[in-house]
Amino acid sequence: MMPTQSQLRLRTVLFWMVPLALLAVPLLVNSYVQFIVNSVLIYALVTLGFNFVIGNLGQLAFANTAFFGIGAYASAIATTSLGLPWLATIPLAGVAGAIGGFLASGAALRGIRFYYLAIITLAFGELMRWLYVHAKSVTGGTDGLSLPRETVMGYSLTDDRVKFYVFLVVTVLLFKATLNLLRSHVGRSIMAVRENEVATASLGIPTSRVIVTGFIWSGFVVGCAGSLFALHTSYVFPESFGMLHLIISFAMVLVGGLGSVLGAVLGAAALTVLPEYLRSFPGMEELFFGLIVIAVLLVLPQGLASLLRRVSPIFVERFYRE
Amino acid sequence: MINLLEVEGLGVRFAGLDALKDVSLNLAPGQILAVIGPNGAGKTTLFNAISGYVRPSTGQVRLKGHDVAGASPHEIARHGIRRTFQNGGLFPALTVLENVLTGLHAQTGGNFLDVLLGRRRALESEREMIARARKLLSLMQMEKMADMRAADLSGGQQRIVEIVRTVASDPPILLLDEPAVGLSPLARDQMMEIIHRMAGEKGVGILLIEHAVELVMAGADRILVMAAGQRIAEGTPQEIREDRAVLEAYLGHA
Repeated sequence: MMPTQSQLRLRTVLFWMVPLALLAVPLLVNSYVQFIVNSVLIYALVTLGFNFVIGNLGQLAFANTAFFGIGAYASAIATTSLGLPWLATIPLAGVAGAIGGFLASGAALRGIRFYYLAIITLAFGELMRWLYVHAKSVTGGTDGLSLPRETVMGYSLTDDRVKFYVFLVVTVLLFKATLNLLRSHVGRSIMAVRENEVATASLGIPTSRVIVTGFIWSGFVVGCAGSLFALHTSYVFPESFGMLHLIISFAMVLVGGLGSVLGAVLGAAALTVLPEYLRSFPGMEELFFGLIVIAVLLVLPQGLASLLRRVSPIFVERFYRE
Repeated sequence: MINLLEVEGLGVRFAGLDALKDVSLNLAPGQILAVIGPNGAGKTTLFNAISGYVRPSTGQVRLKGHDVAGASPHEIARHGIRRTFQNGGLFPALTVLENVLTGLHAQTGGNFLDVLLGRRRALESEREMIARARKLLSLMQMEKMADMRAADLSGGQQRIVEIVRTVASDPPILLLDEPAVGLSPLARDQMMEIIHRMAGEKGVGILLIEHAVELVMAGADRILVMAAGQRIAEGTPQEIREDRAVLEAYLGHA
């Protein structure tokens, strides 16, 4: 079932009402909860960007963590070495992530696909981690980089409530932009490649370039998320961008729903909040985490988003705009 | 009559074997040229070589006098040669309307940034294309299925949507690889009627692979008969019916 015209209008209203309502969050919660909420926003972007490549473009890829690290380091280096204000480094981190997306997927232009492309993206991620450790003069090596304390219009950027407002704006803008993409001929060409690349080319669509474009946008979104992460923890070091992060973001995509924008929020929220509850079971956290992820995927193979789609067609995505 | 498409001496070699050898053909606007032949005759290889999916080892594919042999599939598609696939080329998870819209991709305005920022240029073009896609679907009495997933359609409906998607951009040349295979007799007649309408009303030059000989005899302007990668005869249905070489290829030596 597709949403009706009135449901589509309601959906647009909801898209802007939810973030507006969220503006009240800092007034209602304590600093611990605020920190978790901020994490959810960052991981929502990470998942959105990762999902764009594996869910919408349909390419197996492991460079997501690399884009995240590139964004975080871009922000950290630009603030510490170049002295730029952190806010100005967000688009910079996005562009750095986008360049990472191009580098990781450039082999697609030579006809490399699927498993082979996946291996290249995995190697790219490990190469970046090697760089963080060994390019000591810029990255600080294994010690990492600490971000300087900053204020914006008199508000301290070390305050999680202030960070929240910045994170929220960035998150909403990037979600809106991604939806714009998916509901256009660009987005349809990306999903067409996932569905049947041979047939896509027969329609005059340059499929290799479509794949690289998908990676570039993914890199931009995740690069921006990395920039937020740098401020969020105010400390950037190589260990944050390893295999664990990759596996968790993979789980977020799958739990939320492959190829679903709404799923990106749900998956990120569920798997960011869950570990906080599991903290009361020391030593068993990873076990419970794994079991819960498996249980969700057994019951809902299409992820949490499919549950909402069953409730109302308002949550069914349409890939065109009239 | 001016030829839209001229194929000359086209050959494809796979590991020293001639999958296609020295095949030539001409196609005029509004003409339906059927390609028939036993399994393994090289019909689909001919299609793949013309549409860029297989690189020809020899020969030319001239489109309005311009050689496109060896170009990539999307470039050839942009030049105006569009094709369908024997096994069906729809995007199953996308809706009927979204499928048809991908056929209009090259016509849709607005670059990446216009789309990203939701600029008017992109939105207006999108709306225009949606109207065009809906109109094409209604010509086939399929407007009610616009929001159905392609995977949920019947086999016959899927074939029709694939053809609608393929002709959405008004290509001058259409390559149809067994469009009627697996269809009921009724749907098959409907399909042939659609093919005739495209040739007659829009002047599309159509190259058609079809196994059902009676369909081809009744529906094609000319017939090209292939066997073992080579052209063995070409002519009107009447001429082909009486051709000795054709009878031998199909029935064995008399």
